[in-house]
Amino acid sequence: MNNLNKTIFIATATILLGGVSISIVSANSARDAIIEGFVDEAGMEASAERGKILFESNIGDGKPDTPSCTTCHGATALKTGMTRAGKVIEPMAVSKNPERFIDLKKVSKWFRRNCKSVLGRECTPQEKADFLTYMKSK
Amino acid sequence: MTNLEKKLRVWDLPTRIFHWSLVAMVGIGLTTGFISPEWWMGIHIWAGYGTVLLVVFRLVWGIFGSEFSRIETFVFTPHEIIAHIRELIFLRPRHYIGHNPAGAMMIFALLFFLIAITVSGLLVLGGEENQGPLAGAANYRIGDMASEIHLVLAFILLTLIGLHIIGVFIETRLTSENLVKSMIDGYKIIPQGQSSPQPRPSRPMAAATFLLAFTILAGSVLWAFSTMPPSGIIQMSKNSDYTTECGDCHEVYHPSLLPKASWAKLMAGLEDHFGEDASIDQDLSVNIASYLEIYAAEAWDTEASNRFSRVSLKAPYQISATPYWQRKHNDIGDDVFRRAGVGGEAHCSSCHRDASIGHFDDQKIKIPVN
Repeated sequence: MNNLNKTIFIATATILLGGVSISIVSANSARDAIIEGFVDEAGMEASAERGKILFESNIGDGKPDTPSCTTCHGATALKTGMTRAGKVIEPMAVSKNPERFIDLKKVSKWFRRNCKSVLGRECTPQEKADFLTYMKSK
Repeated sequence: MTNLEKKLRVWDLPTRIFHWSLVAMVGIGLTTGFISPEWWMGIHIWAGYGTVLLVVFRLVWGIFGSEFSRIETFVFTPHEIIAHIRELIFLRPRHYIGHNPAGAMMIFALLFFLIAITVSGLLVLGGEENQGPLAGAANYRIGDMASEIHLVLAFILLTLIGLHIIGVFIETRLTSENLVKSMIDGYKIIPQGQSSPQPRPSRPMAAATFLLAFTILAGSVLWAFSTMPPSGIIQMSKNSDYTTECGDCHEVYHPSLLPKASWAKLMAGLEDHFGEDASIDQDLSVNIASYLEIYAAEAWDTEASNRFSRVSLKAPYQISATPYWQRKHNDIGDDVFRRAGVGGEAHCSSCHRDASIGHFDDQKIKIPVN
């Protein structure tokens, strides 16, 4: 490899890596902002432990076909799930899927719908903060 | 064979090859039509095209073939036919070197019904399935009618084949000629005393020329038909709201799969959508509802748009509850729907590989094995 090619290669690699890390950083900060928002609204610290319980326990207060989050999302946060209509759901854990929870509109939509399906009511800001904190930790 | 009897080559090679190839083609056609599952449709269609070629060949060979293959040699007067039947009843049929009158009538009946069955099949293919040269010329209604006719003709053909085999058996017993063997080696025995004719030879070059000309002519006509765009399929733009909002949870169903009224009911009840809350923002809902109204079943004339237009009264927007869906999936066990690769009744495209474009071609069915 001659010097010019080497320079071009290093420059390109730097730009690409830089771009990827910037987007990860910005995704992380967007997610943190969303979680921060729910924590502020709740007025108390979020707990990953409570989030895990919310995600994994059998609640059954909502629609009969969906007694828990794991009905569709797979047994754990790290697992792939499947909708009742047969569509694959990527894992919820941020480590498995860095695209998770970075768009407030999307996050709000799915909380609204799925909390109603599983809990029979909207989730509280505290539950949302706990849930997201747990998924971020996994 | 005594010294006074003579052997004569009655059936020339092309006629014999034609006969047994036709047996194979019709056998494949009937088996794939009546017994095989839908995804054998491709083979059924090729058996149909093969039958057409063979029948056309036989008609041409009926003009240019050797003596006993020529149609003119087995056209009998009503008087001769009645006489032959009377002889059959008294169990003493006269010997014919070529086809006897009963056999000749069977040949004409078979040729007629084979032509009718392939033409009606082509209409089903073009009308119902939107495939083949008549996809543009035949609409769904024509295809649907042709499909009933096609079935009746198939039963008639089966009956004729049965009669043909019984006829060969009876004549073989009564005349002690082995007709089946004759159709294999081509020879028949001329009994003593019967004058042996001077058979005319075949004219293969004339036959080939005629066949070529006919193929070019018929091919051009079918090609001209096939340039017509398939009937009942309209241009549809994609709607990204529909694709993402609905496609997040389930397969993006083609709008042609339900009528307008069903889509409207579905969009009005998203809070309880098959047991889940699937509500969406007002502006998205309006946009998707109007998209579905434009491209609902009424705008199409495909097999799916016609079949699924008759919805279940209890579940007016559940495609898998429509009578047609139920009937077509009757034989498929629950274990198949539970396979991971299938993913339930709501996942059309697991098996119907062309479902996303609203086609459900029989040949495109492939059921995942696990």
